[in-house]
Amino acid sequence: MIGKVIRIKTSIADAIPRIEAWEKATGEAKYCGDLATPDELIARVLVSPHAHARIRSIDVRAAAAMPGVKAILTGEDFPILSGVLIEDRPPLAKERVRYAGEAVAVVVAADEAQADLALQAIRVDYAPLPFALTPSQALAAGAPILHEGLGEYKLAVEDVYPQPGTNIVSQYNMRKGDTAAAFSQCEVVMEQRYFLPPSDHLAMEVRTARASITGDGEVAVTTCSQAPHVVQEQIATCFDVPTGKVRVTVPYVGGSFGGKAPVTLELLAYMATKKVGGRPVRVVLPREQDMASAPCRLGLEAHIKLGASKNGVLKAAEITYHLDCGAYADIAPYMTMAMAANGTGPYNIENLACDAVSVYTNHTYATSFRGFGHESYLFCVERAMDALAKTCGMDPWEIRFRNAIRPGCLSPSQIECTASNLGDLPECLNKLKALSHWEEGRRIRVDGRTVRAKGIACLWKAVNPPSDAISGAVLTFNADGSVNVNTGVIEMGSGDKTRLAQMLADKLRMDIGMVHVAMSVDTRANPKHWKTVASLSEYLNGVALMRAAEDALSQIRSIAAQALHCAPEEVEIDDAKAHKRSNPKEFFHFKELVHGYKAPDGTSVGDPVLGRGGFMLKGLSPLEPGTGRGKLAPAWTVGAQVVEIEMDIFDYTYRILRAGTVMDIGAPINLKATTEMINGGVSMGLSLASREAFAYDAAGVTRTPNLRTYKLLHIGQEPEYRVDFVFTPQEDAPFGLRSFTEHGILGIPAALGNALSAALDREINSLPITAEALWKAAGGNV
Amino acid sequence: MIARNFAYLQPDTKEQAAAFYQEFAEPFYYGGGSEIITMCRAGDIAPDAVIDLKRIPEANVLRLEGDALVIGGCVPLRAIGDSGLFPLLKLVCGRIADHTNQCRITLGGNLCGTIQYRETALALLLADALVVLFGPGGARAVSIHEAFDERMRLLHGEFVLQARIPAQALFLPYVHVKKTAGEKIDYPLVSLSALACGDGVRVALSGLLPYPFRSRAMEDALSNRSESRERRVQNAIQCLPAMPMADYQGSAEYRQFVLRQTLAAMMEVLNL
Repeated sequence: MIGKVIRIKTSIADAIPRIEAWEKATGEAKYCGDLATPDELIARVLVSPHAHARIRSIDVRAAAAMPGVKAILTGEDFPILSGVLIEDRPPLAKERVRYAGEAVAVVVAADEAQADLALQAIRVDYAPLPFALTPSQALAAGAPILHEGLGEYKLAVEDVYPQPGTNIVSQYNMRKGDTAAAFSQCEVVMEQRYFLPPSDHLAMEVRTARASITGDGEVAVTTCSQAPHVVQEQIATCFDVPTGKVRVTVPYVGGSFGGKAPVTLELLAYMATKKVGGRPVRVVLPREQDMASAPCRLGLEAHIKLGASKNGVLKAAEITYHLDCGAYADIAPYMTMAMAANGTGPYNIENLACDAVSVYTNHTYATSFRGFGHESYLFCVERAMDALAKTCGMDPWEIRFRNAIRPGCLSPSQIECTASNLGDLPECLNKLKALSHWEEGRRIRVDGRTVRAKGIACLWKAVNPPSDAISGAVLTFNADGSVNVNTGVIEMGSGDKTRLAQMLADKLRMDIGMVHVAMSVDTRANPKHWKTVASLSEYLNGVALMRAAEDALSQIRSIAAQALHCAPEEVEIDDAKAHKRSNPKEFFHFKELVHGYKAPDGTSVGDPVLGRGGFMLKGLSPLEPGTGRGKLAPAWTVGAQVVEIEMDIFDYTYRILRAGTVMDIGAPINLKATTEMINGGVSMGLSLASREAFAYDAAGVTRTPNLRTYKLLHIGQEPEYRVDFVFTPQEDAPFGLRSFTEHGILGIPAALGNALSAALDREINSLPITAEALWKAAGGNV
Repeated sequence: MIARNFAYLQPDTKEQAAAFYQEFAEPFYYGGGSEIITMCRAGDIAPDAVIDLKRIPEANVLRLEGDALVIGGCVPLRAIGDSGLFPLLKLVCGRIADHTNQCRITLGGNLCGTIQYRETALALLLADALVVLFGPGGARAVSIHEAFDERMRLLHGEFVLQARIPAQALFLPYVHVKKTAGEKIDYPLVSLSALACGDGVRVALSGLLPYPFRSRAMEDALSNRSESRERRVQNAIQCLPAMPMADYQGSAEYRQFVLRQTLAAMMEVLNL
């Protein structure tokens, strides 16, 4: 116990690789689809070819008689409704389909080929109904009503407000100041409309789920979910099983971007296994169904009117957001609420009237997508800011700097902004100016047919958890003194588990190599973490984890104090050792303490160390109906981005040259990994804005539900990325760190739109911005 | 995944291939297989047999024979490009799909497949090539203009054994431009191939209409040097046999705009 004391090698600032990097790089990492067992049956899903139709009949007789077919399920088998906010969605359509791609029947067979053949033998007789594909169509007089029973649906939460007899799922109105009076005094008024189509998440891993039921009623589910505990609770609720009897395990998730937060295939897997006496059943979706059937990103129609003084100081805003939430509510009402509460963008506007409405349409239903709606409304707001700057004859950077929301301002939901809950947007803008060489000019003529242009956009995002979101962490120790971390956080590629391990290593004063993280999540072993969504892991789970570390440290101190014959307060911890403050050379290694201490004379001292920590969010409140006053989130993250493009002025094709981001992330934790995470978001935003959309034919059926025709940005098309940071600590967060994992995407669609609008000198107010869209905006001459 | 079982046959001779074809109800000739695999997967076709032509010696030829370049129907697009024997066709092949697929897709498969663009036909149409077809009735060599009308017109059980391209067409000044909605690797909005020939130009197009075509009327309009370039392009567009397609990749009007740009660029490159 006498030796040299060295400082630990790992700190939160170090650029360590992801802890699962080797496993993933070697292909050893296992995902849900890799965990097939010899006894499992395969389920395939039959989907609707109609956007909206009545199901007259389903004839499964021929299919049921085919070889290998064990069961066929239709909506009649489990006539239940599911939904996390509004229980409006049957896992299998009953009597009616509301979008092309909706699940109508499930075949369970011995193998995939038999399931596939049987699927083709099911005969469904549909009577097509009129359909609505955009919020405007769905809100128009005489529009087909998607859910006549909207008034009877069970609401799972209090703050959703469906309007029976219409297609309005929920609505949130923000009222601050006196908008009418303020507009009458504005010297400059700008008004525009915006349109964003639905698009897809397109995680590399296609969704899949597996379920079985033992003879004594134990339900086992393995799935690629971001929310295993929600899967557990939903299955318990929908099928009346005691929650504790449902065990959900999630291995690595191969990307999700919000798309694996809702509970979908898990319900089908449960129904399928139930129907075959509990044998394990795995539901398999081909990519085409993963795109057309599983929930996608929302569409949006927006109207923005901004009023300002002639020197560009914002005075008033009137904003309408109509979200295309597709055929079922899922989480769309809460995205609508988040858009209402943050819908001005990060600007100080004292007089605001903002109405955000989620609207049913006959599209594939929408769910959370990286940005939780912020990536969509920010396109509108930031395009509007550029249009306002143009009207005022101001530089777009300048108008943003002048109006940037600052500590002391009131947010749209009338929360007072502080440095801690907001961060420093003006400083982000200052740094971005240098990073992007903004002073070079916005539009530069390169040669006879090429112009180069820059577009800027600010971003902000408030995390939007329910006010009772919880998380937990349990720490156990190994005989070598290393620690095992058990949390409910899912690793889906966002690096959360590495950052949490790094935070823990720092807190426990040990090398990162001594932190072992349980990578898969098992609801029976890991404490509940609300959902791995909203970029909240480092905050929600981070607080719990730090509490668990404190708990473990106090136990280690207590044991060490007895071993060192001093008071616990005299014990210092460093390099996985506990030593006396007065004599650092007198110490015990964790390995001598964590399973209790055995003195040289054989006396046992203390107990095994078990660290526990939990956290429930505090101080949040729903939005007050009418004014929208309320606190939805603990804090915002702010930042600003620039995209630089080069456009051919003859054929309107363009290249994306550079994309710069400056974000206030609170604290410098593993900036290398953070930079890559932000770049991933930027790349996703560029892809979304430049090419991604579900295109629909005249019958309301998506024409591009495959990767042959639905194009993504790929390697070789990426721009030069530039990233810089501002660090304004969020005081209640571990190490002061702010959320950032989604945020790289947020301002990018708008920055691209602003760059191309500048290049073309036209207002580009729709996505995606293709060469054809630019040609059309330029007049569309053939 | 392909759910249905089918027979896989690998004949060594063309005669055996044609004989196999007659033994099945729903047979498909197989070159690279890229379309067959995707269409089976999507449930669009359900062959009971695929007859792999890749072991037929004549279908693998790629060489100059006398006054013609002979390309077997099973030669992959990539090999055609790498040989450098027909620079225009090299460019065409280099813009079909990606490298991986160019190593699989064959000349015969591209000409006879169901994907409507069939861009290798553009070069054959411009070069006045012959195609050698083989089927239960034996071999026949016919002009591409006779064999290809919107698509290959094959008799029952026939496949493309070879294409024979007149040597004088191989080194004419050429242009190939493929315009897509945005991606380099994608189906074309407009895919234009041109060969300058004497005073005039030969032009064939894919992507614009639901089939590839060569238009003599457009060629005449573009070759008429008594008019300005702009005028000639305008006249050529007037000669289009039908309205351009409209689909998820682009509207008819936008295709027309892209065509105009592409034709204008071609005129400049070929100095017409």
